[in-house]
Amino acid sequence: MTTQGATLSGGWTGFQGVNGDDPAANTANTDLINILDTVAVPIVVVRGDFVVACFNRAAADVLDLSPSDIGRAPREISVFAGLPRLEQQCSQVIISGVDSRIDFREADKWFVVRISPYTKGDRQVNGTVLTFTNVTPFRASLDHAIYERECTKAIINTVADPLVVLDADQRIQSGNRAFYKMFGVSRDETQGVPLNDLGNGAFELAPLREQLKEILADSHGFQSVEVPHVVTAKGQRTLILDAHPLSFPGHSERRVLVIFQDITARKQAEAAKDLRSEEELRRSEAFLAEGQRLSLTGSFCWKVATDDITWSEQLYRIFEFEPGTPVTIERINTRVHPEDLPTMNESIAWARAGGADFEYSLRLLMADDSVKYVNAIAHRSRDAGGQLEYMGAVQDETQRRMSEEALAKARSELTKVARITSLGVLTAAIAHEVNQPLSGIVTNASTCLRMLDVDPANLDGARETARRTIRDGNRASEVITRLRALFSKKEFTLEPLDLNEATREVIALSLSELQRNRVIVHSELADDLPPVRGDRVELQQVILNLLRNASDAMVGVEDRPRQLTIRTELDEEDRVSLTVHDVGVGLEPQTVEQLFAAFYTTKADGMGIGLSVSRSIIESHHGRLWAAPNDGPGATFSFSLPRSSEAVTS
Amino acid sequence: MTITRSLVSVVDDDESVRESLPDLLNEMGFAVQVFSSADEFLTSDFVRLTKILILDIAMPGMSGPELQEELKRRGRRIPIVFITAKKDDTVRPSLIARGAVECLFKPFSDTALLSALNAALRVA
Repeated sequence: MTTQGATLSGGWTGFQGVNGDDPAANTANTDLINILDTVAVPIVVVRGDFVVACFNRAAADVLDLSPSDIGRAPREISVFAGLPRLEQQCSQVIISGVDSRIDFREADKWFVVRISPYTKGDRQVNGTVLTFTNVTPFRASLDHAIYERECTKAIINTVADPLVVLDADQRIQSGNRAFYKMFGVSRDETQGVPLNDLGNGAFELAPLREQLKEILADSHGFQSVEVPHVVTAKGQRTLILDAHPLSFPGHSERRVLVIFQDITARKQAEAAKDLRSEEELRRSEAFLAEGQRLSLTGSFCWKVATDDITWSEQLYRIFEFEPGTPVTIERINTRVHPEDLPTMNESIAWARAGGADFEYSLRLLMADDSVKYVNAIAHRSRDAGGQLEYMGAVQDETQRRMSEEALAKARSELTKVARITSLGVLTAAIAHEVNQPLSGIVTNASTCLRMLDVDPANLDGARETARRTIRDGNRASEVITRLRALFSKKEFTLEPLDLNEATREVIALSLSELQRNRVIVHSELADDLPPVRGDRVELQQVILNLLRNASDAMVGVEDRPRQLTIRTELDEEDRVSLTVHDVGVGLEPQTVEQLFAAFYTTKADGMGIGLSVSRSIIESHHGRLWAAPNDGPGATFSFSLPRSSEAVTS
Repeated sequence: MTITRSLVSVVDDDESVRESLPDLLNEMGFAVQVFSSADEFLTSDFVRLTKILILDIAMPGMSGPELQEELKRRGRRIPIVFITAKKDDTVRPSLIARGAVECLFKPFSDTALLSALNAALRVA
């Protein structure tokens, strides 16, 4: 089979496997063959009838060809088994006169086989020249590169954050698996598509486009961009986009890697938290407002430099200003009681000058002429800009002050009632005390008369009875003296007095009543007790009250002596104290404080004012009155008073 | 002739009464024993000998009216003249209702005492 070849212009001729007649040509031929043999690249010439015409030494070495292969078809030679379409490819080349290349593997070597047209002197192509270039080292590094690329691809595909590479026109080059999954698209359908076409137009943000443009122009940093409302396969999401420039050595083209981060959940949590803290804030504001309303306390902030005043709702209510209307010092002053205005102005001036924390009470005169008592307290501080400001609170004390006044009035009335009540008891006690010696006087005088009336008169008896009459008269006089001491003072007067003496008088006056109640009184009055400052009558009322309570508490006691111990001493706090200890019914620890409340009583016929009045008396003496259950039966009531620096004047 | 003087027992915690009353009663012709408390009287040998009891109302320990009840319980019907330093108009009728002969408020006159004792002798 002969193939008709193309005619080529130029080229060499005369290459024959055998020597000719022309010696010059033969020499050139030999030279050429020698040269070809020195070429390390295997060269095989295949004739137009597809048999091996000749080959060089390298072909013999590398392809293991032998002279016997000359004239054989390549398909019959085992080394060419890897090139099954060699004949067709060779005829293509012969017909077209154009080189072609094919890859060829022989054992562990890779070759690129170049099939070139072989021409004779007439430039007629009547065969092919096969040159085998060994590309094994290139092939290995290519394999390695492919392997590396596959690894990288696998890694990138496992990254949970979507990644995409954009070209210089911000068109999608390739993305990782997470990227395609996020937008529900395939690699093929997005290749070369502008990023803006994704996410339902959410990426059409000028700042994002600008930044990507800049990062593609040079490698400066990228500020993350938050993109809300991105439509993805998972619905609307909020994404954060970050970008890094990509450049490749030897390539001028720049690309950009865009990293997407889905922050929808975080955003929702933040929103929920914001909602919660907003709710908490609202609630604490409501608490504060309610607290202010209940405590009748308003708060304010006064920035001195600008005279900006911020008021709480309650403060508007206290001043009876329309809520939210601007507040100025001048406006506040219109509410300040004219008598308190100078104090107010002074305080303001002082605060303006730098002052310090301040607290003062003032009266407000309202539109309806009613008066309010308020107490203002303020703390000096500096705002963020270092400017002087006062933050404070204003409490409406009108109600409290009114109830205090009412309470004081009620207490003084109660004291009066109590004084009358105890004086009634005292009067009876005194009458008893006076009647005893008077009885003796009358009896003795009667006896005396009878002794003198008989004949002979019993003069010794008469003298004796007369002496007794005088003695009993003196005794009655002493009682009268005590009585006068009790009644002589009408007004509350503080004077140095001996508490022991006052106590003895009360014991003396109430002893018979106590004895009638079978109460055994032990007095343990301290020697050298310092004087106290007080009103004798009032303190004696308290002592009398404590003695009567102790006695009443023991009325039902039958199984033990009704012991009452009254003791005075200078206590550890250097105060003069008096305690009354009984063995009566005792106290419940939890009701101890109630005892001192007005109208609280444990007695069937009690009014429940004794202890409350007693406490108010002791407190008006700057003292303390308290009660405690005993370890054994009964209770102990005590009061203590400050000692007086003055001596008792009598 | 032996004149037996009627025994008047005085029970009063007040010393001036115990001191002054016996002399007056002697002058009036009575024999007298004084006791400072109800217990002292009850534990003495004079309970059964006493013709008339002059009894203070308010005393430490057993009071006068309590002694009155105790004597009643023991079946001793001794006429009692109460004496008291506490002038309380409600006391007298209730004591008389419970069997007392009289209730005198201190200080009392010798004639008031004598008429009360005479009334007691009539009851006895």
